[in-house]
Amino acid sequence: MLEKSPAPEASRRALLLAGAAGLATASLVSLSSANEERAGANEEAVALVKQLTGKTPTESERVHLMMPRSFPNGYTVPLDLAIDSPMTESDYVRYVRVIAPRNPLIEVGTFHFVPQRSQPRVSTRIRLAEPQYVLAVAEMNDGTLLLAKAWVEVATNGCA
Amino acid sequence: MAAPKPRVQLPSAATKGEVFQVKAIIGHQMETGLRKDAEGNVIPRKIIHKFVCRYNRVEVFVADLHEAMAANPYLEFYLRATESGRLEFIWEEDGGATYLLLHELMVA
Repeated sequence: MLEKSPAPEASRRALLLAGAAGLATASLVSLSSANEERAGANEEAVALVKQLTGKTPTESERVHLMMPRSFPNGYTVPLDLAIDSPMTESDYVRYVRVIAPRNPLIEVGTFHFVPQRSQPRVSTRIRLAEPQYVLAVAEMNDGTLLLAKAWVEVATNGCA
Repeated sequence: MAAPKPRVQLPSAATKGEVFQVKAIIGHQMETGLRKDAEGNVIPRKIIHKFVCRYNRVEVFVADLHEAMAANPYLEFYLRATESGRLEFIWEEDGGATYLLLHELMVA
């Protein structure tokens, strides 16, 4: 078997390695600023809910707000919501309220459930005016508020 | 404009305790009150602002809807089959009009 000359391969490997290192540094930098952005967005979301309800919500993984990260049509963006809860008389979701903070009118809808009768799940379609974090606030039977948010990049203004 | 047409899709039979899916939709512009006509006048808001599902007269799922809901509002939700009976689906429009659909469910 023919041996390839090491020089070009080494230099190509070196180039690739250097490129990869450069990329890694760049992504580390963008990751930390992305984390900062997300922390800022969390604070904004919590502050908005506090303003609307008078109560402070907790960001919770029990609330699953599933929306596309990017979507072409702002007039009808799909939204799937599910909250982890047994829906027993001692542990259930009263309602979940959806807010679109960057829309001209920020309220989307409030969905009410009944223990033992309905699941804390709903799917629907909403209008978004511009890219934003859509918020879902669930009120539990004990009054606590659980919050989730989803970033949606819409390409058209669905409120025009 | 033609009267808004509501439609529902759900099973006609279920086993007791089972969770079943309901899909409900109504053809409606959901006019937000933010748009203007050709002359520049604001088109007044007119939306379906409430949807109620009753199961043998008991409210089991209610939705308050606002302007940010898409036109032809679509709702998919999940109910537990507790007993045979009638499901009522009511859509309430700004101005007081209501639209109703009934559905019989057999639960064994």
